[in-house]
Amino acid sequence: MLELRGASYRYAGYAKDVLHDVTFTLADGEIVGLVGANESGKSTICLVASGLAPASIGGALTGTLTVDGEPMAGRATHELASRVVVGFQNPTTQLSGVAATVFEEVALGPMNLGLPVAETLARTREALATLRIEHLAERAPMKLSGGQGQLVAIASLLAMRPRHIVLDEPTAQLDPEGTRLVGEALRVLAATGTALLVAEHKTDLLDGLCDRVLVVDGGRIVAEGPAATVLADERLLDWGVEPPARVRLDRALRARGFEPSAALS
Amino acid sequence: MAGVLRRLARISFLLTLPVGISVVLVSVFTRAGTTVLLTVGPFDATAEGVNFAGQILVRLIAISLAIGLFGLTTDPRSFVFDLERRGLSPRFAFVAAATLEAVPAMVVRAGVIQSAQRARGLDTEGSIAARLRGVMPLVGPVILSSLTEVEERTLALEVRAFGRPGERHLLWFSPDSSGQRAIRWAMVLAFLALVATRATGTFPALP
Repeated sequence: MLELRGASYRYAGYAKDVLHDVTFTLADGEIVGLVGANESGKSTICLVASGLAPASIGGALTGTLTVDGEPMAGRATHELASRVVVGFQNPTTQLSGVAATVFEEVALGPMNLGLPVAETLARTREALATLRIEHLAERAPMKLSGGQGQLVAIASLLAMRPRHIVLDEPTAQLDPEGTRLVGEALRVLAATGTALLVAEHKTDLLDGLCDRVLVVDGGRIVAEGPAATVLADERLLDWGVEPPARVRLDRALRARGFEPSAALS
Repeated sequence: MAGVLRRLARISFLLTLPVGISVVLVSVFTRAGTTVLLTVGPFDATAEGVNFAGQILVRLIAISLAIGLFGLTTDPRSFVFDLERRGLSPRFAFVAAATLEAVPAMVVRAGVIQSAQRARGLDTEGSIAARLRGVMPLVGPVILSSLTEVEERTLALEVRAFGRPGERHLLWFSPDSSGQRAIRWAMVLAFLALVATRATGTFPALP
């Protein structure tokens, strides 16, 4: 289980905290969505929850990050790799730029861990198979579409066999087809038992995928609960979050005097 | 090697030409000598200057041929990863490999930015002056986007345990036959023999 407790964080060189007393848990096998307006603190929460802040990017963190009961403070980033990893928006920058094929790209992480060749090969094949992208194995990573590139980036994280994966807006730079590919991949990942924390603007993606949803506003968690409940909250628009299409359709039908279940039957 | 001779000659010529022209002009017209072949204004072209320029030109061609031959016959990635297999730091190997891949990546990025600028009315074709004017708006975005990518890529690599100290078990290796090893050792011995003959005066030094 990943637990962030009382976390307040300030970027290096900043005078003010951008996160204020953030507390949440990510249980094993749980899928949690993170929504909020731009600059609300979603990406910062992803960096803190993955341990990159402050370990890699500096800054000042108060509060605690624990994974499976062990505090992560002071640990080097590579020590966190088998526990929690994070994926970012831009598929291109998540690629190493030195791998000739997708297979090599996905194998890079296990190699960096110093694993034997047989173990590296096994993990790479497993990651490609889990996300159903074995057909991309011999392709050049830099010549893939956005959606394919993001799947390769996620596979590269999966090959580390982390217990928790944090994804910061994985579909932000993707077209609808790419978004569909990643959405399907997230459903497959969810079925493997890996815990996911997914920050997204696209609430339709989170609707039906997540067990719980957290709403971030001004660096604070302002709402938390079952996904269906939070995504139907009337205050979502006030927090800069567009409800999923299902909720908007429901409200539009009710506003016109229709009972949604009757209207759609 | 047989498949690259024509390309090698072209590359060597292009590498040597800019420096070669200046070296020849400076050597021919400023080298002190007694045999004047030609006078241009206050400068005398001497036979000694031509001789000296020829020697420098031969050396330049030899260097450019060596560099070109290495570049045309060696896969950069294989070279870097083989160095890592032989003990080079993984970080250094990665930086070297990423540097080799960076230029093609920047060319692609520049193409994308250029297309975007063209869509906004930038003229990148026509006279040399127009092309030069078209290049300037590209330089800033290409460099800035490259720098931004560095930070993001660094974090992505950190997540994949790039910073972990210690050995990596590489998946790839370059095949190395006994014939290739023999040729390499023969070249090393030939090099040592050449140095020895020059040092002992058996090979006369060039004037």
